[in-house]
Amino acid sequence: MAIAIWAELLEKFQNGLTRSIEFLNERDMENIPGAKERLVEKFTQIRNYLPRNDGELLIKMINDSIQSRLFPNTTDHIVAFNQILNARTPEQDSIISELIDGFISSQGKTLFGGTDRKILDNLVEAFRKRRDFKIVDHQFYAMFGDPNKPKKFVQDRLDKIAEFLGLQIELLHVEQDVRDGKPKDYRFYSFPEEITIILEGKYVQILENGEKIITNDFDKMVFISYFLATQSVNRKKLDNYTINGICAIFSLILLLSFMPKLNVEETNPINRDEHYNPQTMSIIPKSWLSKSILAELMTPLVQIIAYRVGGINWLDKIILTEKNINIHLQAQFLLKDVNKWILGNMCRVEIPIFVEISNIFSEIILGAEGGTE
Amino acid sequence: MVRESWMEIYPYYQNYIQNMLPLFEQSIKFVQDLAPQDLNDNTKILEYLATEEKRSVGKVKAISEFSALYRRDIFTRIWDCVEDLRSTTDLEEIRDIIIDDFEESIDFLNFLSALTTPDQSQYESTNLYLIVQYIQEQIFPRRSSVTEIYSHLIEKSVQYYDIQRHLLMPSTSYRENDENPETPALSAILYKIINEITSLLNLDPNYLQSPKDDTIEIPVIVKDEIFLPFIDSIANNESSNLNQILKRMELELIHDIFIGPTMKFISAGELHNYFRRESISNTRERIIPQLSNESLVLMYLANLSHKRGFISKELINWISSIVALLLYNAALETFLLEENIFYSIFTDLKTEEKILPYMMKLICFDKYLGIDRTKIRDSVQYRKEIFSSIGSQIPSMKKLIEDISKYIITLIEK
Repeated sequence: MAIAIWAELLEKFQNGLTRSIEFLNERDMENIPGAKERLVEKFTQIRNYLPRNDGELLIKMINDSIQSRLFPNTTDHIVAFNQILNARTPEQDSIISELIDGFISSQGKTLFGGTDRKILDNLVEAFRKRRDFKIVDHQFYAMFGDPNKPKKFVQDRLDKIAEFLGLQIELLHVEQDVRDGKPKDYRFYSFPEEITIILEGKYVQILENGEKIITNDFDKMVFISYFLATQSVNRKKLDNYTINGICAIFSLILLLSFMPKLNVEETNPINRDEHYNPQTMSIIPKSWLSKSILAELMTPLVQIIAYRVGGINWLDKIILTEKNINIHLQAQFLLKDVNKWILGNMCRVEIPIFVEISNIFSEIILGAEGGTE
Repeated sequence: MVRESWMEIYPYYQNYIQNMLPLFEQSIKFVQDLAPQDLNDNTKILEYLATEEKRSVGKVKAISEFSALYRRDIFTRIWDCVEDLRSTTDLEEIRDIIIDDFEESIDFLNFLSALTTPDQSQYESTNLYLIVQYIQEQIFPRRSSVTEIYSHLIEKSVQYYDIQRHLLMPSTSYRENDENPETPALSAILYKIINEITSLLNLDPNYLQSPKDDTIEIPVIVKDEIFLPFIDSIANNESSNLNQILKRMELELIHDIFIGPTMKFISAGELHNYFRRESISNTRERIIPQLSNESLVLMYLANLSHKRGFISKELINWISSIVALLLYNAALETFLLEENIFYSIFTDLKTEEKILPYMMKLICFDKYLGIDRTKIRDSVQYRKEIFSSIGSQIPSMKKLIEDISKYIITLIEK
């Protein structure tokens, strides 16, 4: 059964690649000579190598790179969090943050009642203001609450954020509050103790008097890493929206890593544009961004990711209605923040995960070619 | 709304600085007079606080409460510092560290106090004017034409594009009216639309004879295509006000079907390789688009900067708060080390909300940002918005703060 499903998914992706190649052969949107041919060549290579050794190519890319860096396949929360934190690099941070932040913001929109606020920034700021590495509902309300709405609104919102991110809630009842002498209930939000231990040093400094203050390194990526760790450990319990969102993000990362790098002539104006840094960026064919290609590749790839990361449980939750496909395609908005248009050229910012996936690709294909010889 | 004059706002700006300065000066005097061994315990500090708080200073209640609060804050930090360092550092050295930190803080407050003068006519020699000019030059320049502003913004975008874009996108929750003649901020949806237009123009443009010049063909895209990825009609508002939105980026609707660049955008863009010409016959040229991420965003900002008298309330509050924050944080970085024990007093909302709103109003005057200061909000919620925006600092803002700080140092040296 499982073998049949996997084979079917691979075949769907192969078919998507075939249709993309046909589309590319019919239309040329590229402005760099040879760009279209490089893309066709790359798609053909992927299509040809895809079924070999039961889809080893994709399995290795997903397991060794995406799962190991961003979504560890473990039931141990601490191991997962540690693994994601250790995979951080500044360039990768900015891209993962764009991708996940976009996802969290849209999830947040439904969770937090339409507010467009930068939720994670607010949380960082709230932690920064205290010396016990906790957020308190009253203080959060004073900092970010809307005075026209009751405090209960902030409490509900914080509870949902805590649940969403995996923070712990502690309740404290005080018979007489120092300020007004009335009984009061406080809600403290914090990371679980074992997670705090991981953060000690680089992210949280513990003073001799026991106070815990966050360092300048403590940023929203800590939440994003924690969010990813929580989601990865609880992958069996996630809802449809989260599963579709995560799969779309990982598919984009894979698709981006597939793109061949192009060489441009020395006289090309991009070489004189200061926004282009050949050390950290590479020009990739732009036609893959067209709706016709994205639509062909995204949906089967989302299904492949779902199956490899969450098994049949996740695959069932990828609903392929037209509306849902549109949601996957909306991920193309994220692409423009992750990549850059520079003088009409699509440029990919090289981050470790892209390089790593590309390396897996070369390794497997070269290995296979070596074997054939 | 009351139009406050410079002379009305200036005293408000000075008020809390002038209340904080003597507190720091009295406190440094107390620490200087203290024998190092007095730092063995906090008896002397508690005695001093008790005396100060009992003393009738003949001030209004609000000011004495303010002073008591800050004084306690200052001494809590002093005592925390003593406790942190006592096991590793001798008491005399600790006292010297505290005195150094006091001196830095007093220098910072003196700088803020002398930032500008009550006499507005002498603006040209004030640090406030010079620093605001410096900041404007990087992210919100003033020039006589949109093209000049656009070119300048592009030149500066290599270093500051993220913050130029940030200036257009308030992190606050809002929905502005696109029908309003005042230019609104870039909402998340509008930003996606700009991204979509950039991509479609780069990927797959159609070409149409220019309505203004029959010797050229301009690149166009089909209007409806940019709205395809939006589901559940979430971009309805933008769709129905498209014409108004496009004008702000020097784009136009052609035959109510296509979107294409105006001649003004083509000529401004050609200077930066965003368009090139390709000859298709002896009498006709085709304009090929090769846009960058910043091409349309900066055109929006250039138009906004040029028509700065007509921008929305949300943006006025956002832009002035960003500029005030940049200035305040750069001055803080210039005078205080981050390890300074009083640093967090100055980054606390209770300090910022007493200085920044008035600084924002001062920098809105004509010679400075030249935006409508009567639209600056005075509500508690708005102060929280400032606070929230501090949390949303982006990396390129840090770079600009460093650069402004270097500029402040050159001003001081002069």
